[in-house]
Amino acid sequence: MKSGKSRKKWNSIRLFLYVLPFIVLVLVFSYYPLYGWIYAFYDYKPPKPFSQAQFVGLKWFRSLVENPIKVKQLLQVLENTFAMSGITIGTSWLPMIFAVYLNEIRNVPYRKFIQTVTTLPNFISWVLVYSIAFSMFSSTGMMNSFLMKIGAIDQPILFLQSSKHVWLTQWLWLTWKNLGWSAIMYIAALSGIDEELYEAARVDGANRRQLIRHITIPGLLPTYFVLLMLSIANFLNNGMEQYYVFQNAFNKQYIQVLDLYVYNTAMGSGSYSVSVAISMLKSIVSVILLGAANGISKAVRGESFI
Amino acid sequence: MKTGKWTALAAAALMSTSVFGGSVPALASDTSGYDDELTIEVYDVAANYQGEQIGWYAKEIKDRLNIKLNIIAPQVSGDAASLYSTRTASGDLGDIIILDNSDMQDCVDAGLVMDISGEIGNYENLQKYSEQINLFNDDINSALGTTGTWAIPAEMNSNGPTDYKESTVYSMPRLRWDLYQEQGAPDLQNLDDLLDVLEAIQTAHPTNDSGDPAYALSLWKDWDGTSIETVNQLTKWYGQEVNGSILIGSDNSVTDLLDKNGAYYKMLKFFRDANERGLVDPDSATQDWNTACDKMKQGRVYLFWYSWQYGFWNSPAKGEEDQNYIGIPLADMNEFQPSDTYYGDGRAWAVGSQVDEEKRDRILAFMDWLASPEGLMLQHVGQEGVTYTVGNDGKYTLTDQGLTRFSESFEVPEEYGGGDWNDGNNQVNQWLVAGIETNPDTGETYSSDYWASFLALNDTKENKEWKEKFGADNEVEYLEKNGQMNPVPSINKALGSDDTDTALMRSECGKQICDTSWRAIFAGSQEEFDQMWDELTETVKGLGWDTLVEYDKAKYQPIIDARKAVEK
Repeated sequence: MKSGKSRKKWNSIRLFLYVLPFIVLVLVFSYYPLYGWIYAFYDYKPPKPFSQAQFVGLKWFRSLVENPIKVKQLLQVLENTFAMSGITIGTSWLPMIFAVYLNEIRNVPYRKFIQTVTTLPNFISWVLVYSIAFSMFSSTGMMNSFLMKIGAIDQPILFLQSSKHVWLTQWLWLTWKNLGWSAIMYIAALSGIDEELYEAARVDGANRRQLIRHITIPGLLPTYFVLLMLSIANFLNNGMEQYYVFQNAFNKQYIQVLDLYVYNTAMGSGSYSVSVAISMLKSIVSVILLGAANGISKAVRGESFI
Repeated sequence: MKTGKWTALAAAALMSTSVFGGSVPALASDTSGYDDELTIEVYDVAANYQGEQIGWYAKEIKDRLNIKLNIIAPQVSGDAASLYSTRTASGDLGDIIILDNSDMQDCVDAGLVMDISGEIGNYENLQKYSEQINLFNDDINSALGTTGTWAIPAEMNSNGPTDYKESTVYSMPRLRWDLYQEQGAPDLQNLDDLLDVLEAIQTAHPTNDSGDPAYALSLWKDWDGTSIETVNQLTKWYGQEVNGSILIGSDNSVTDLLDKNGAYYKMLKFFRDANERGLVDPDSATQDWNTACDKMKQGRVYLFWYSWQYGFWNSPAKGEEDQNYIGIPLADMNEFQPSDTYYGDGRAWAVGSQVDEEKRDRILAFMDWLASPEGLMLQHVGQEGVTYTVGNDGKYTLTDQGLTRFSESFEVPEEYGGGDWNDGNNQVNQWLVAGIETNPDTGETYSSDYWASFLALNDTKENKEWKEKFGADNEVEYLEKNGQMNPVPSINKALGSDDTDTALMRSECGKQICDTSWRAIFAGSQEEFDQMWDELTETVKGLGWDTLVEYDKAKYQPIIDARKAVEK
């Protein structure tokens, strides 16, 4: 008895030791950095060490909203963030549909080819995407040369300097880059759908469209919802590289999302404390959004993810 | 952006100096009493290269002082700001520290810099500049309430605080002589005349020789700060220099940057007018410096303004065919030009606080050597026998390789250190003493640009024609003779860096000003332009512009006071 008890104890210690490295990793890389939030409450400015920085309380948080011009700017930035994240989330079913149709292609080499071609852009950095955009759409780029050659225009169109349809064009770039990559998750999920379901449906006389509608799509929905929840939690983190490389004086009003705003205001002036303050706010909002999405999912579908 | 600017300036300065360089006396190989090899870590905001100094310059300092240089270059590190904060947080920035003045003052305050007041008196080459060094350190001491000698200004000379020895001004309209003559070489009264002649040139030559579209003006945005850098440079044509949120005049006046009577508004309007006539490269607001630079080298830009832009195109051969760019004065110009950087150029060198006594003495000996004629020739021109030769009269002449050393690099002979010349050139890219300083060995400048042998080579057909038309030897002489320029004393002070509130305000207002300025250049009409301007004024006032202007007025007052004192 006694030996059995101590063996059990040893066993749990051993199991705990298995998981320990991962706990340490999480503590070191996810929780320890939170200590950096302390900068938001001080006036830190290199080269003076942090120990000599002055405590300023909530000053930087207040400074974000202290005057009407800044509030106006911040609202515009939030509008851009919500709009662009909203468009992305609103069209988040695209990769799923893409995966379904890709799966329907019977010619395997052709299917592999399409999949590779659409996945590849994901590995191109935004800086390179911008240089592609520049060589295609600058005043002497491919597009303008073509339009001028065929006589459609006589002055180059400044596509990149346009302040119109910024949200839409940015979404197109993002989709071009991400579509194939995001589809991978669904392609994996597709193989998990029970083949017997299809066979049974075929016996009942279902055609391809009906198979997709009644078996494939419902089979993919759980995956879709998980990914949707995650992207809602990331609502405010719609990245900044893309907008950073595409921004210019003409489209900035519409392209400036929260991350870019933090970078433009704070990093440009070396104000670490202020940027920490803004990013803190961001993390808190993200946690709230995640909680809300989870709650909605629980209420609507009876399942939660956290 | 600022780093980019300095990089380009340095590169261009090198190019212009380089088109005609020289080198140093004999390759004496005495490892003068330094038994142990010493590696000096140089934290260097001017460097465009990170790592150990290699090639011929490494050989020279190793042979002479048994020193190796390890250069830390924030500009190429990827993230300059975090490198700076990490290294400062560790308490050791480097053995030699090269920083902008205000950062230097902060570092002295943070205890990262060593006091060298006890030792500096022993170094005769540095002592030549004791007036400048003491003045600079007095400022730091009075600002921080310390005592000591902390830093040595960069690019000093001993020609006198109001002397301007260069033959070109920093910024003025520069056109290609053949194209200007093709339009009848009109006398230009003002900016409208300039636009007229540019429009005529562009209409006659819509492309360069290889058929690529060419424009009168091609701008770039990389160097923008609180306001657009290209506009900032052009305000100097009308006697004002942009300093943060204010314009300081050559008459020591101070104007709000956004004053409609100020030169910033005037020159921004100049760009808008040019764009209305189709003279501005449509890519101006989106292209970067490298793209703009390529266009200049390909002859696709008809108006230059920086003196160093000559380096992108001009050559003695093109000069014989009248194709060089050359300064064309406007009758209503009133040039703002600081004198040579007698007191220093805004950066300073210091010794890190963590080095021990022995190392400190070796570092100071090295810096003293850098300020010696031997060190300066190596830094500014190169090695004797490689980039320049010494004539029987003791004067220096560039070799063919020396003449084109920056545009066409070459292999250095093994006995001189080997390797590619430019790779082996001094990668610190910052000098204690300016090239305009007189070399006591020759009575000429260190910079090869003003050697008699170089000037003779460069006195082309075009130069002769220009002299005849304008009745002066060069643009500086012309402007001074016509009362259009009176060099402002160049003052070098550590002004202290912005506190966080001001930095934030400056950054926010600056973003607004730059964005609106770019849009204003491309504005469809004058009304639209003025409307944008008014909206801008209102927005930045809401962001605290007036506070910022007052702050800058107070900040730059010591410079104005010092200028007035020198002018008396």
